[in-house]
Amino acid sequence: MALLEIDDLSVRFATNDGEVQAVNQVNLSVEAGETLGIVGESGSGKSQLSFALMGLLARNGRASGNVRFDGQQILNAPPKVLNRIRAEKIAMIFQDPMTSLNPYMRVSDQMAEVLTLHKGMSKKQAVTEAVRMLDAVKIPDAKGRVRLYPHEFSGGMRQRVMIAMALLCRPQLLIADEPTTALDVTVQAQIMTLLADLQREFGMAMILITHDLGVVAGSCERVAVMYGGRIRETGPVGPLFAEPAHPYTQGLLHAIPRINQDGDELSAIPGSPPNMTQPPAGCAFEPRCPYRREGCDSQRPPLEVFAPGRARACFAPLPDVLARQQTVHLRDIAIGAEDPVQEEATPMAAIAGAGMAGTPSKVDE
Amino acid sequence: MVIQQDKMQSLATRMSQDEVKGRSPWADARKRFLRNKAAMTGLIILIGVALFALLGNQFAQWSNEDLDFTVMGQVATMGMPSLENGHYFGTDDLGRDLFARTVQGTQISLMVGIVGAAIAVIVGTLYGATAGYVGGRTDQIMMRAVDILMSIPYMFVLILLLVMFGRSIAMLFLGIGLISWLDMSRIVRGQTLSLKNREFIEAARATGVPSWKIIIRHIVPNLLGLVAVYATLLVPLMILTESFISFLGLGVQEPLTSWGALISEGAGTMNYGTLWQLAFPLFFFVITLFGFFFVGDGLRDALDPKDR
Amino acid sequence: MFAYIMRRLAVAVPTLLLLIVFSFILMHLAPGGPFTQERELPPQVLANLNAKYGLDDPLWKQIISYIWGIVAHFDFGPSFVYPDRSVNELVAAGFPVTLTYGSLAFIAAVVMGVGLGVVAAIWHNSFLDYLAVGISIGAQVLPNFVMAPILVLIFTLWYGLLPGGGWSFSDPSFWIMPVIALGTSYMASIARITRSSMLEVLGSNHIRTARAKGMPEHRVIIRHALKPAMLPVISYLGPVFVSMITGSVVIDIYFSTGGIGKAFVDSALNRDYAVMMGVTILVGALTIVFNLVVDVLYAWIDPKIRY
Repeated sequence: MALLEIDDLSVRFATNDGEVQAVNQVNLSVEAGETLGIVGESGSGKSQLSFALMGLLARNGRASGNVRFDGQQILNAPPKVLNRIRAEKIAMIFQDPMTSLNPYMRVSDQMAEVLTLHKGMSKKQAVTEAVRMLDAVKIPDAKGRVRLYPHEFSGGMRQRVMIAMALLCRPQLLIADEPTTALDVTVQAQIMTLLADLQREFGMAMILITHDLGVVAGSCERVAVMYGGRIRETGPVGPLFAEPAHPYTQGLLHAIPRINQDGDELSAIPGSPPNMTQPPAGCAFEPRCPYRREGCDSQRPPLEVFAPGRARACFAPLPDVLARQQTVHLRDIAIGAEDPVQEEATPMAAIAGAGMAGTPSKVDE
Repeated sequence: MVIQQDKMQSLATRMSQDEVKGRSPWADARKRFLRNKAAMTGLIILIGVALFALLGNQFAQWSNEDLDFTVMGQVATMGMPSLENGHYFGTDDLGRDLFARTVQGTQISLMVGIVGAAIAVIVGTLYGATAGYVGGRTDQIMMRAVDILMSIPYMFVLILLLVMFGRSIAMLFLGIGLISWLDMSRIVRGQTLSLKNREFIEAARATGVPSWKIIIRHIVPNLLGLVAVYATLLVPLMILTESFISFLGLGVQEPLTSWGALISEGAGTMNYGTLWQLAFPLFFFVITLFGFFFVGDGLRDALDPKDR
Repeated sequence: MFAYIMRRLAVAVPTLLLLIVFSFILMHLAPGGPFTQERELPPQVLANLNAKYGLDDPLWKQIISYIWGIVAHFDFGPSFVYPDRSVNELVAAGFPVTLTYGSLAFIAAVVMGVGLGVVAAIWHNSFLDYLAVGISIGAQVLPNFVMAPILVLIFTLWYGLLPGGGWSFSDPSFWIMPVIALGTSYMASIARITRSSMLEVLGSNHIRTARAKGMPEHRVIIRHALKPAMLPVISYLGPVFVSMITGSVVIDIYFSTGGIGKAFVDSALNRDYAVMMGVTILVGALTIVFNLVVDVLYAWIDPKIRY
């Protein structure tokens, strides 16, 4: 049995402009110790998916479907149940460490309250433990800095504090929602390396949500590509990058600038993501798709397995799609954990995600 | 009673963002405003009150100055509202027609509110825009002056002025308008600072357009949304201030009158059983304040849609 | 923190001096003012004034002697109208009354306003929220001069429950209506501010983090949301304080409570400029001190503010 099983998860937001269908019938599973990457442009629903798992949707959001963690139903579970799971079993780190830490509380208080709450430690024990964890995430002079306020840390250090806080209870699953988006590119690589190290050390599973394919290539085992609130393609990271079977995945990979690329122009996927207030009747990617054919605008392609461990949602015949794709070498875009020498490539890879705003904390009504 | 500065700040931020997107926020805003029931109700109320102020005298059967000798001395029994003798709202304590008096009070209160708000908005906008645009030392001195002025108990100073220099409507306008521009100037300054480095301002500067012209032609128009909301919310505050002073008997003088003066008269005589003298002016006062608040809030929510 | 307070004081003192000089000059410019000698003053008053300022002295000397009187002896000089009374006596008589109902109204407005706003924000879009919003919207068009007659009408004239005016330190039934009349509209404003800032904070990222830590909702609100949500309320307290002092004028007139508002209006009607100035300067000083307290409170809550 998988650690986390997501069945038919949908998320809806009621807004003044109508209902927004942020996530549609998503099925996913995460094994213990595994790293799953969820990739997509902003607005693809990937962050809302993770908030729904943790019961952290904005007030006007509703989730439906089934999510089981360790066999226990957690979607829309009562607060008592959820509060036993949050931080203790599933922890989360967020995109913007600047605003995600409480700016009005000392780091020591923010971290200690997790342990006093879940482990019943005394305040003093909890602070000692917090310092140990800050050491583990390689914050220099942790003992001296634990009494500081978040704004007294740099962006990268803040995200380290965030990570340390999430790991305090040694969770079985860590959900990282765009952990590096708000950071400088050099710091991004450090944080990803740190996450990979800690994951190995603590033996936890991780869901890494990002729009940066470089980050995924560097640290994930399996990838799910989302577009318009639906999963478009899933598969192990190697084959998916080598042979992307969905036009959108291809477009994403193709949009990554590479050092060995000819010419000056960056390629992009033409058009813009769909308006999820009025989702199209057919495939949401159809207006931007180079392979579109009759029926694409009226019917939704189902997610179908086409090779062991791989599935895609597209009507275009697989050989057609594969024939036109330009090969991207995994090692050209990987960053962080795999090979320190590759760090030079980081700035270029990071551009793939540049200009995409992150996820707002709440969906405007 | 308050204009929420944090909300104004949020609106200011929002308006400057929309400028970047290069798309007018007004079209969307109009749609949202028209859909906002409270704001539309407020607008209808305000139109009604304005019509009352403008056309009320056409329907009045008595002038606001004539004494009705038949009710004089027995106002409590004879002066009640009635359609027969033409005193729709009854008479005041001296036997004057309250309908005509209320029309006059409405005219004056609305005028004080609008003119006072206009003075405050114009002075505040120009002052804030100048401070923000010029920047540097000038800005610091100008804003420090605002800080100092803010800690002056202005109502007391206003009363001091009214007593010393005589009670006139002009003095009232001046006093009310000149002390309420401070908040406005702060917000406008902040907004100007963020507009200042935009390309279109730099382009204007590069082609040698003089500073004052840039402020008037480029900065001020871009503050329009903010100013519109602020002005709408300022009018009721001005009306309140004027009514407060008139309630104390220091504002508008006889034979002129205003809502505050009428409320004061009505409140003074209510234990003689002439409750209508309080009720009618109070009714117009309250619905007008509601009207302005709903319209102002609606305007702001339309320009800065947020759930709160 | 100490340096911060000192720096604020360094601004406050010149502000106050400026206020004093400004009102003194106003008084001097006023048509019919005592220093222009156009108006007949009772001989005893003239003698008092002469002894105090030396009316024949140049203006700057008079100003300095006035300021010196205030700074060194807290002496605002003699009244211009009552031969044997000083401004201090006239103001001191009313001050305890104003202080009593004023501080009660202030505390009641803050406590109830914050409570109402927090409740409305937590149960957003529920019946409680609509009720709180309804109350606060309704109450904000009921300023003190409207509340006062309405209260008297209901509680004194119709039901005869409360005395319609007057003041007694020993009988709280005299306090009730002044406090309600003075506090209601500010309670409404505070409730509105609290509600909107609480809603904003509850939707913010760090609250999501707190929830993700598995904290029960009430602890999230008390430990994480309340403090930042109070910041806009705190910066509104300065204006509330000023408006309440101003409002005390209406309370003193309408309920005959005899506070400093009464001294002010009486002197305004009598053209007793000395008393008017005394009250204005006193109120200005109180305002400055209160704003300082508010700023310190703000800086204490928000660690991002550098002292």
